[in-house]
Amino acid sequence: MAALLEIENFYGGYEGVAVVRDLTLSVTAGEVVALLGPNGAGKTTTMLSTSGLLPIIKGDIRVFGETVKKRAPHKIARAGLAHVPEDRSLFFQLTVAENLRLGAAKGSADIAQALHYFPALEPLMGRKAGLLSGGEQQMLAMGRALTTNPKLLIVDEMSLGLAPIIVERLLPVLRTVADKTGAGVLLIEQHVDLALGIADRAYVLSHGDLVLQDDAAHLRANRHLLEASYLGGSSE
Amino acid sequence: MAVSDEAPAAEVDFAPEIKPLRRRTLPASFQSRLLGGIGIAILLRILLDSELRLKFLTGASLTQGALVAAIALGVVLTYRGSGVVNFATGATAMYTAYVYTGLRVEGKLFLPPLPNPFAIVEGVAHHLDDKSTLRLPRWPTFIDFGGHLTLVSSLLMALVFCVLFGLVLHGLIFRPLRHAPPLAKVVASVGVLLFLQAVIVRRYGTSARSTYLNVGTPKQLTLPFSIRLTVDQVIVIVMVISITLLLWALFRFTRFGLATRAAAENEKGAMLLGFSPEFLAGTNWVLSTVISGLLGVLVAGNQASVDPVAITLLVIPALSVALVGGLNSFGITTAAAFALAASQALIGFLQNRTWYPKAAGAPIPGVAQLLPFLLIVGVLFLRGKSLPTRGAVASGRLPFATNPSLRSTRVVAPIAVAACAVALMFFATPNGRLAIFTSLIGIVISLSFVVITGYVGQISLAQMMLAGISGFTLSKLTGDGIHLYGHTVIPKIPFPLNALVGALFAMGIGLLVALPALRVRGVNLAIVTFAFAISMNEFLFKNPGVSGGFKGASVKIIGPLDPLKTATVGRGKGANVWFGMFLLVVVVLLCSMIVNLRRSGTGRRLLATRSNERAAAAAGVDVAATKRTAFAIASFVAGLGGALVGFRLGSVNQLYFGDTNSLAVLAFAYLGGIACISGAVTAGMLVPSGIVFTILQTVFKVPSEFTLLLGGLALIVTAIMNPEGIAGGFNAKLRERKRARSGESVVAAHAGGGH
Repeated sequence: MAALLEIENFYGGYEGVAVVRDLTLSVTAGEVVALLGPNGAGKTTTMLSTSGLLPIIKGDIRVFGETVKKRAPHKIARAGLAHVPEDRSLFFQLTVAENLRLGAAKGSADIAQALHYFPALEPLMGRKAGLLSGGEQQMLAMGRALTTNPKLLIVDEMSLGLAPIIVERLLPVLRTVADKTGAGVLLIEQHVDLALGIADRAYVLSHGDLVLQDDAAHLRANRHLLEASYLGGSSE
Repeated sequence: MAVSDEAPAAEVDFAPEIKPLRRRTLPASFQSRLLGGIGIAILLRILLDSELRLKFLTGASLTQGALVAAIALGVVLTYRGSGVVNFATGATAMYTAYVYTGLRVEGKLFLPPLPNPFAIVEGVAHHLDDKSTLRLPRWPTFIDFGGHLTLVSSLLMALVFCVLFGLVLHGLIFRPLRHAPPLAKVVASVGVLLFLQAVIVRRYGTSARSTYLNVGTPKQLTLPFSIRLTVDQVIVIVMVISITLLLWALFRFTRFGLATRAAAENEKGAMLLGFSPEFLAGTNWVLSTVISGLLGVLVAGNQASVDPVAITLLVIPALSVALVGGLNSFGITTAAAFALAASQALIGFLQNRTWYPKAAGAPIPGVAQLLPFLLIVGVLFLRGKSLPTRGAVASGRLPFATNPSLRSTRVVAPIAVAACAVALMFFATPNGRLAIFTSLIGIVISLSFVVITGYVGQISLAQMMLAGISGFTLSKLTGDGIHLYGHTVIPKIPFPLNALVGALFAMGIGLLVALPALRVRGVNLAIVTFAFAISMNEFLFKNPGVSGGFKGASVKIIGPLDPLKTATVGRGKGANVWFGMFLLVVVVLLCSMIVNLRRSGTGRRLLATRSNERAAAAAGVDVAATKRTAFAIASFVAGLGGALVGFRLGSVNQLYFGDTNSLAVLAFAYLGGIACISGAVTAGMLVPSGIVFTILQTVFKVPSEFTLLLGGLALIVTAIMNPEGIAGGFNAKLRERKRARSGESVVAAHAGGGH
């Protein structure tokens, strides 16, 4: 089965300086993949390049089999990629309902779908997104991404600034989406245990290099591998 | 798996509501309902009185309202589409009306005088004074269609022009500026305004042109309630109302409208949802130019003539009504435009009543112009919050406000001052000395922008008005003092003191300007202050009691400093060297005062307020007091500038402190670099008839009509290429180089001390 996302010998960064070096990664349909690593490892950089917001320095990223090089971000999004960025990129001046409507190409059916996953948004539909709490904003960002019926969903650290108890409730939604719709999911997460709990596979980046890739179950069973990779040691 | 309703999201990520600094006495909803009620009561009173109704709803007032509405709709569209408050919307309507008139009346499409690649060659040839040997090809100024065109084809061509112009504005100017601070966008749009106006003045002159080909008596219709309109007027009014409805439907029912608002706020978010921000913004720009252009053509045709100023300045009432609609609602905007224009017509009628206040026997001027200002202040003051609310869109950063280095204060500045003094004493011709005078005064006025806009981030377009307050006060103080109802309020005051008192007057009015600034920010503040400036100009400066009527308002300085006298030193006659020295001393004093301000605790509070009001308040800065301080200092400086203008010209007049100059001084201050002293100095050199333009005119023989044209163009280019202004950009380069050098040494130190 062809991968939805193929990252091949990818070098990415800012103004020609590579932050991520020689990364190879893939996500297939129905799969949840975690991208782990300490701060500054290059996880967000990889995602920005995937959705076309950052130019690729070397190597290639293919979404649904087509390269993202020189493609405008909105065209990649229209092909079926949904990116929930770190800053959530909500439209603060628009209401929750309007934010959701912007994602929904087919209209109310998609919105109902999103509300099914995040029923807490229901009573907030008429409120401006800027007035939501952090957790509610994150639900809206995820809900909005889901209204686009994505074939590939990439989520950048949705736990940022949220209490662990909220993250525990939000993360499993990604697993459900992957199982139900067959979408591929790539997520960046700092709550390693929670992420490994729902992921099929995981990649660990450190200082821009891929230091570890393995099945999530195997990593859960062998914590020392992860700890070694985070602390900069070898995986042996 | 779904996140349940019981998720304690709200408790965990609890956001404390920030209490407003000052409690309101009445809830806002009650206040606005009360005002609405009063408005409706006044409206009913007018509509029920048949005489008042006929003066209220005249054909002229309604077509004027239609044009204001169209310009306001253009403003709202571009604001919603790209976050730009376009001061040039009125100028666009005016320019299109000229394009149409040219085609319809003469069958000629005029071209802007720039860019002519031969101009440089010509300039050099002029300089060598060897015109006979050079035969330059003429750059076409008109495309001739041989005789006037039909109504339909000239209208179509005018609209095609609008489409192209909208694309140019979007693609070449505002698209590159999309991440620039709001001030850069304002300045660029002012640049467009000045450029369009200058092109028209260059091609057709300043006088009004007839737009009619064959004037027939327009057919009158009598509508219900005995309102009389011509067919053309009805067409214009119906057209504006239907455009409003169409826009409302477009933004209400289509994803295009929603996506437009989304993309204007967060481009990245819109892109990630599959919308092209470029397409959305471009479409809205084109819609905006087409609507304002179309109505510009129709109303100009209706009013039988068009001139470069009137329609251009309709952008002020248009901005006011757009603000009433919250830069958001098309319906409210259009309704407010009609109401405003009708009320202004009614004031014109009521002027002849006996109870109407008089000044020197004539009804006091400017009340109609005061109306949009009062409207804006009322609406914004009710809506504004003393601190930005949560979720309010943060405005972009402003240029870096450098703390002047020791080298620049101890080496560069003394050299510059000495060079200026030597030039005044020995080298400059009388004309050159006049240019130096103008530039030194330009520096003073630009310094007031450095404090108010550069340091505390408030965009004020009222600085020229404040200068005017001081100038007119000074003229009274050098005359026979200020009298009110036969009593002497302030007697005549001798020379150096009178300028200070004038500046103090400006400071008092400046604190009045600061009142709206406590609740209104960003571009909205620019609109408020501009409306304030215009209404003061109409209301005070045109008032014969202030301006001295036909005698004018003369300003005298003591004999030895009289700028028109000839001094014992200096080349040629006239343009007193000692007046220049006096200006130089004032400039040096003010510059050192502002350098000290920047370095003091007050300066840090100003900058803290500029960068984030909420954060500054949280850190213990009294935001309101800081803003008031900044306004007081800036208006005092502007007031001194106004006094110097009075001394320099020997009199003051309302033209000098008027609308175009208010825009131009901000524009030139920005062009120089708005956040640093060196920027103010650069700006002073660049002001019209200052040093740079005088050199361009005398050495390169660039005609003087090109001043504003080149200035407008330079503004647009600077805003795009160099959002920090000329001096700011230069400083940024210096910083970068310094950082590169120290960066290398840091890396080296790391390598040396590594493990």
